[in-house]
Amino acid sequence: MNRAVRDYLVFLQRCGRIAFVGDWRYYAWMGALTVLCLIGLNAYAKQLVHGLITTGMSDQVSWGVYIANFTFLVGVAAAAVMMVIPVYIYDNAELHDLVIFGELLAVAAILMCLAFVTVDLGRPDRFWHLIPGIGQLNFPASMLSWDVIVLNGYLLLNVHICGYLLYCRYQDKKPSKWFYIPFVFVAIGWAVSIHTVTAFLYVGLGGRPFWNSSIVGPRFLASAFTAGPAMIILALQIIRHITAYHITDKALLTLRGIVQVSMLINVFLLVNEVFKEFYSGNLHVASSKYLYLGLDGYHALVPWIWTAIVFNLVAMFLLVLPLSRSLKWLNLTCVLCITGIWIEKGMGLVIPGFIPTPLGQIVEYRPSLNETLICVGIWAFGLLAYTIFLRMSVPILQGRLSKANEARPLPAAAGGPAAASARP
Amino acid sequence: MDERPPPARPQNHSSIAWVLRTLVVVFGGLAGAFLLNPWGRTAPLQPIPLVDPSFLDTATVRRSYANLVQAKEDLSDFDCYACHEKNKPPVLRFDAKQNLIIPSEHSDIVMGHGEHGRNNNCFNCHNEANLEQLQTRDGRVVKFQDSPQLCGSCHGPTFEDWEAGAHGRISGYWDRALGPYQRQQCVNCHNPHSPRFPSRKPAPGPHLLRPPISVPTAAADAH
Amino acid sequence: MSFPEPHVNPDAAAPGVDMSRRSFLRTSAVLASGLAAIAASLSPLRELDDYTSLDRFMQKYYKELTPEEMEKVLQRIAADVERQYGIRPHVRDLKPMNGVEFVYALNLTRCIGCRKCVHACVQENNQSRTPELQYIRVLRMPNGSLDIEKAEHNYAPESVPEKGHFYMPVQCQQCRNPPCVKVCPVHATWQETDGITVIDYDWCIGCRYCEAACPYWARRFNFTKPSIPKERLNPNMAYLGNRPRRQGVMEKCHFCIQRTRAGRYPACLEVCPAGARKFGNVLDPNSEVSYILRTKRVFIQLKEELGTAPRFFYYFDV
Repeated sequence: MNRAVRDYLVFLQRCGRIAFVGDWRYYAWMGALTVLCLIGLNAYAKQLVHGLITTGMSDQVSWGVYIANFTFLVGVAAAAVMMVIPVYIYDNAELHDLVIFGELLAVAAILMCLAFVTVDLGRPDRFWHLIPGIGQLNFPASMLSWDVIVLNGYLLLNVHICGYLLYCRYQDKKPSKWFYIPFVFVAIGWAVSIHTVTAFLYVGLGGRPFWNSSIVGPRFLASAFTAGPAMIILALQIIRHITAYHITDKALLTLRGIVQVSMLINVFLLVNEVFKEFYSGNLHVASSKYLYLGLDGYHALVPWIWTAIVFNLVAMFLLVLPLSRSLKWLNLTCVLCITGIWIEKGMGLVIPGFIPTPLGQIVEYRPSLNETLICVGIWAFGLLAYTIFLRMSVPILQGRLSKANEARPLPAAAGGPAAASARP
Repeated sequence: MDERPPPARPQNHSSIAWVLRTLVVVFGGLAGAFLLNPWGRTAPLQPIPLVDPSFLDTATVRRSYANLVQAKEDLSDFDCYACHEKNKPPVLRFDAKQNLIIPSEHSDIVMGHGEHGRNNNCFNCHNEANLEQLQTRDGRVVKFQDSPQLCGSCHGPTFEDWEAGAHGRISGYWDRALGPYQRQQCVNCHNPHSPRFPSRKPAPGPHLLRPPISVPTAAADAH
Repeated sequence: MSFPEPHVNPDAAAPGVDMSRRSFLRTSAVLASGLAAIAASLSPLRELDDYTSLDRFMQKYYKELTPEEMEKVLQRIAADVERQYGIRPHVRDLKPMNGVEFVYALNLTRCIGCRKCVHACVQENNQSRTPELQYIRVLRMPNGSLDIEKAEHNYAPESVPEKGHFYMPVQCQQCRNPPCVKVCPVHATWQETDGITVIDYDWCIGCRYCEAACPYWARRFNFTKPSIPKERLNPNMAYLGNRPRRQGVMEKCHFCIQRTRAGRYPACLEVCPAGARKFGNVLDPNSEVSYILRTKRVFIQLKEELGTAPRFFYYFDV
C-alpha cells in the first residue's frame, strides 16, 4: 500500500517537475501566458476592491462577457466527448490516444468555466453557500445548482479517466477496463448534460422571451460540437508540430466530419430561429430585432452578429466542399467556426436577452478594460493549464516519461524532426 | 521504447538563457507596473445630487377647514358674516354668456367645477340662508367640517370608494388594531371650486450606472 | 535539446540535482521575479476595506439562526452601522403576522407620475444614492396601450400628468409563483407566509441569476459599495428589510417590511399625493384592498401570461 502511494507521489512529482522543463519556445510561451495571467489577476484584485462596477455590466445588462465566455467554454468541454464516441462506440482505434488530448482540453475548459463563474460573483467569499450539506444548494429547483453539480462532476470524471489512463501508461500497465470504460460511457452522457443544463439556465426564464424557446438547447449542442472539435483539430496540429507526436491526418479528417455535420445543423437551427422570430410579426421580438437589425437607433451588436453569420456560412460551405480536406483550408475553416460561434454564443445569445429590459428600456453593454483583462487572464490560464497537461501527457504517451526511466533525467521537450522515437 | 534520451539538437543554451533573462526583466517590470497602477483605475462615480426634500414630503395638497379647526388656527377667512349681512342672501351676477361674475372680494376663487360652466351657481353647494354652512341639492344642511357628505351627494360612486378607503389618501396603520390612521377628506386634495387634481413638477428621473455607450442614431421616440 | 546545464549525470538518483551555479541563479531569479510579480499583482487588495470578519464569513442562513444567534447578528449590524454612520440604529427581525397576506393595488387613473414614491422609498429603505438604486420605476405609457415596449422611463416634462399618457409605477410584484425564488442557487431569496419575497443579504452570493429571471426588472444589484448620506439614514431597520447592504448583493422592494410588519403603510403609499396606492391584508374582508378586488371590474396583472401570479393589481377607476 505504502509502495503504491509512494510510487504515485513520485509520478506526480515527475509530472510536476517536467512542467518546468523545456526549450526556449516553451519558456517564452509559458512566460507570456504567465504575464497575461498576472495582468488578469491584478485586474481581478481591483474588481474585488471596487466591485463589479469595474465591469461594463449594469442592472439592465447584468451578465456580460464572463458568462458569455463561460457558456462558450462549457460547450468546448462538452465537445471533448465528440472524440470519445468514435473511439469507444465506433471502435475507432485511430483516435484512441487522442481522446486523452480531447479530455485534457475538457479539463482545461472546465477550469476556465469555474474561473469565469467565480469572477462573475458579487460575493465570492460566500462560495461555500453553494456546497451541498454545508451551504444551502437549491437543488433541484435552480438550474444553477444543477450546473454546479454537473460541472464539478464532469471535471472529476475527466480528471479520473485521463489520470488513470496516463498513470497506467506511465507504469506500462494495461489499464483495467472496469476503472475507465464505465466512466467513459458516463462521461458521454454527462457531457451532453453539462451543456443542456447550461442551456436550461437560459431557457427556464419565462420573463425573457428571447431565451425562453425550445431551440436554445439544441442550438447550444450543435454549436458546441462545431467549435469544440474545431479547437481540437487545431490543438492536435500544434501538438504534432511541436512534439513530433504521431497524429495521422485521418484523425483530423474524422474530426472534420463531426464539425461538418454539426455546423450544418447549427446553421439549420439558425434559419429556424430567424424564421420563427420574424415571419409572424408578433410582439416579443424586440431582442431579435435589436440583435439583427438594431432597435430605436441602438445597433451595437448588429455588425457582430452579421460577422458571425458570415463566418459560419463560409465555414459551412468550406466544410461541405472537399477543399477543406486540405489542412490549410481546414485550419482556416476551424478558425472561422470558433470565432463565429464564440460571437454567436456570447454576443448573440447572452447580451440580446437583456436588451431591451423586461420593462422595455434599452441600455447597451460594452466590456470595460478591466473586464477584458480578466477574461484574457482566464483564457491565458486555461492555455497555461492545457500546455502543462500536454507537457506531462505527451512524454508519457510517447513512453519517454515512464516508470522504467525513473532514474533518468526528465525528457526535454522533444522538438522537430530530429527526435527519432516518437511512437505513441 | 527508447531508453536513451533522443539525440539533442545543437545546444540552444543561449536561447533558453536569453529567454529566462528576458522573463526576469519582464516579471520585474510587471511588478513595478502593478504597483504604479497606470491602467484600469476605476473612474470615480459622478455624485448624483440628493433629491429635494419637498419630494419626500407627505403633506396633502390642501388643508381642509377640519384641519384648521383641529390645529386651532385662524378661522377668520371662514367668518362670512364679518362682511355679509345675516338673513340677506348674496345676489349672484352673471354675464351675457351665463358665466358667473366673481365679486372682487372673492377674487381668489376660480370657478372650474364642471365643464362648460355647468356648476356655476354658488348656492348649488353653499347655503344662502346660512353662509357658514353648506347644502346638498336636496336641501340637506352640511357642516364645513363634514364636506365629504356634500361631495358624495353628487359623486356617489367615488364617495362609496372613499368611505371604503379605495379613493383618496389614508396614512398611518393598515392594521387598525395596532395604531391610528388618518383618512383625508375630499378637500384635502380637491379645491371645491376647481377640483381637478393639480399638476406638479415631477421628481428627477432615474440615472444610469454609467454613461451610455452610444447615442441612438434614429430620431428619439419612446425609447 | 537537453537541460540548459552542461554537466548532467544521467545516472544521478534525483535528476537535475547537479545544476551549475549559473543556471541555479537563473532559475531562482525567474522564480523570485515571478513571485514578486504575483505579489505585486495583488497589491490593489491593499485598498480593500470591506473585510469579512470570521463570524460574518461563517454566519448561518437566516432560517437556521436561533433567536440568540439572531440577536447577536442584529447587535453586530447595529454596531457596524454606528461605526460607519455615527448613528445607532434600531434593528429588528420582524416575523410575519398570522392571517396576513399583503396585496398592493394601484389605481392607474390617479397616478400622476410625480415619482415621489420612488424617492420616498429610497429614503425609507436606505438605498445607495451614488450609484443610484431605485426599487420603483415609473413608466409613462401612451393612452390605449399596455405594451411595455412603448414605455418611457426618462420623462421630464415641466409638469405631470401629461395629456395622452398614463403612468404605471413598477416594483417587485411579490409574485405568488416567483421565478427569482426558483432560480436562486443558494436559497438566498424566498417567499414568506405574508407574501413578501425577501432576501437574506448576508447569504446572497451575487450571481445575479434572480435579476435575469425577474420578468418585471424589479431586482437591483450593488455593483459597488452603496453610499448613503449620513444625514438621510433611516435608523428604523429590519434584518430582511432596510438595513444597509454590502457591495455585491441583491436587493429589491420588500413592501417596507420594517413598517408593514409593524402594521404601518409602506413609504411609497404614505407619500403618494394622489392616493393612487392601496395596500393591505387581502385576507381581511374589511381592508381597502379587499374592497377594491371585490368591486373593481378590470385588473391588470403585468405579464399575467407568464404565470407569476403577482400580488400587484393595477386598475382604472374611470
